[in-house]
Amino acid sequence: MSVSGFRLFDGVNSGLERVLDLREAQHTLVSSNLANADTPGYLAREMPFGEILAAVMDEAVTGGAEELPQVGEAEVEERPADPGDLDGNSVDAEHEAGTLALNTVLYNALTAGVSRRLALLRFAASDGRG
Amino acid sequence: MAGISEVFSIASSGLGAGRTRLQSIATNMANARTTRTEAGGPYQRQVPVFETEDLAEGDDGTRGARVVVSEVMEDPRPPLRVHDPGHPDADADGYVLYPDINVLQEMVDLMTTSRSYEANANVVEATRDMALQALQIGR
Repeated sequence: MSVSGFRLFDGVNSGLERVLDLREAQHTLVSSNLANADTPGYLAREMPFGEILAAVMDEAVTGGAEELPQVGEAEVEERPADPGDLDGNSVDAEHEAGTLALNTVLYNALTAGVSRRLALLRFAASDGRG
Repeated sequence: MAGISEVFSIASSGLGAGRTRLQSIATNMANARTTRTEAGGPYQRQVPVFETEDLAEGDDGTRGARVVVSEVMEDPRPPLRVHDPGHPDADADGYVLYPDINVLQEMVDLMTTSRSYEANANVVEATRDMALQALQIGR
C-alpha cells in the first residue's frame, strides 16, 4: 500500500506512509506466527517495532524525510523456545492475538490520519471552498 | 508490495492445516474400534505432520512463513491386545488387536485445533478490515 514519491510540503506524509508499511510488515509476521502455532520447531518471528517506529517518527518530524529507516535495517528476531516446550515451538498465541488486534486498530487509525491530511490539502488546494 | 495478499495466503495455509488436522482427528475417533482395514490388521492412528514453508523475503526485510502439511503419518504405536474370545477377529488365544486410540487425547487435539483455526480466521478478518480501510484513504 505504498504511495511512493508522494511528498507534499513536509515529512509527515511520508512518515505516515512508512509507518503503514511497518504495520503491514508486523501483520505479516503475526500471521506467520499464528499459522505456524502448531508446527514443531518453528520459532516466533518478531521485529523491534518500538525502536523502528521511534526512528521513523523522529526523522519525519524533524524533516529528514529523505532517508527514512526501512524494516530490513533492523533484524527480524526469532524468539527462543522455552526449554520446557516439548515441540520446540515458541509461538505464544495469546501474545500474537493481542498484537494482531492492536496492530489492526492502529493501522486503521493511521489510514484515518492520512485521509485527514489529504482532506486538509484538498481544502487548501480549492482555496478553502472544498 | 507483497503485504496484504501475502497475509491472506499465510492465514489460509493455517486454516487449511487446521482442516487437515480436524479430518485426521475425526477419522481417528470414528475408527477407534476398527479391527479390519484394507491393508489388513487394525486401523492405525493418523498423525498429520506440519512443516514451515518460508516465503521470499519482502522488500521491507520481513519474511513470512506459510504452514504446509508435509505428510499424514501412521502412528507407530503397536495395537492393543484385548482378550475378547467372542469377537470374529479374535486369534487362536482369544485376543483381538484394537487400534491404540485414546479418545481423551483426540478430544484435546480437537479443542486445540479449533482454537488455532479460530486464530487464523481472526487474522483473515483483521486483514480484510485493514485492506478495506486502506481503500478508504483520500475519500
